[in-house]
Amino acid sequence: MKIVYQIGIIFAVCWLSQLVEAVIPFAFPASVIGMIILFALLASGILKVSHIREKSDFLLSNMAFFFIPAGVSIINYFDVLKSTALQLVVICLITTVITFGVTAASVRFTLFLMNKVRKGEEK
Amino acid sequence: MSELFASPFFGIALSIAAFAIGVQIQKRTGFVICNPLIIAIVLVAAVLLIFRIPYESYNKGGEIINMFLAPATACLAVSIYSKIEVLKKNWLPILVGCICGSLASMGSVWGLCRLFGLDAAVTASLMPKSVTTPIAVSIAGSHGGMTPITVVAVILTGIMGSIMAPMLIKMFRVKDSMTAGLAIGACSHAVGTSKAVELGETEGAMSGLAIGICGIVTVIFSLFMM
Repeated sequence: MKIVYQIGIIFAVCWLSQLVEAVIPFAFPASVIGMIILFALLASGILKVSHIREKSDFLLSNMAFFFIPAGVSIINYFDVLKSTALQLVVICLITTVITFGVTAASVRFTLFLMNKVRKGEEK
Repeated sequence: MSELFASPFFGIALSIAAFAIGVQIQKRTGFVICNPLIIAIVLVAAVLLIFRIPYESYNKGGEIINMFLAPATACLAVSIYSKIEVLKKNWLPILVGCICGSLASMGSVWGLCRLFGLDAAVTASLMPKSVTTPIAVSIAGSHGGMTPITVVAVILTGIMGSIMAPMLIKMFRVKDSMTAGLAIGACSHAVGTSKAVELGETEGAMSGLAIGICGIVTVIFSLFMM
């Protein structure tokens, strides 16, 4: 029964998140609302990780599998892909380098500032 | 005959078989480029096209698999929560890094799409491509993007990030593990994180945190930018 309870908890959170998505006036994905609700439940101690461990391990470790149908529907978009494939690859390549560089630089700068403030306090 | 393919069992069994083959190929070759998901997608698509099975028949099972995406995304909360101590200790650099990284990613995609003259639907499909697939797909879907394009772009980005990570660390002269982990997670989500884990424990934990936080940050920015 343990797994059934765990599925019950997680599916209930997902349903609740769809309710919230329907109520709020802007486009916020239900799955992310579900993530926030689940995090709040864990952080507040209402729910313990042990209550959902097996089910969440199953979902997280098989994440890639659940995307197969979403990916396969690419066969309905062949004509779009045919004309933009090259641009798509170039965009992915350039933006990956930019994102890495900007993230690394901003983290380094924040750490540098924090160090400076800490040294200032010591003096 | 065609009714037989319209059973949900067909779509699910085909997907599992294709994924199993993908996992095996990845194990045997050890190449990041042999991503099990990419192999599975190509195999399933090939079977459907060769045997002229309509996508709608396959999708009877596909819909059921799809249903697990929302719970799987929600469970990312569990992986963030398990790293809450690291998060509490370093919340400022983590938050700043994820915000700047997400903005850089969305901004550069937007700019390049303008440059290449791509239309609004393609742009919306690509904007969230640096975050984890479930979140990227939800963002693209709710802003008029074509979600299959998003799936392909997200996986492609992940594979590129994972292959280039060691080179990028050298190129940007990154010396500490926290910075490296956050940068890998911000630009190439879960696929990159698997590489970050190989580099070290801190790299892996930081990269994992960046997946969830960049996801949320990107959702929030997408409300204003898309």
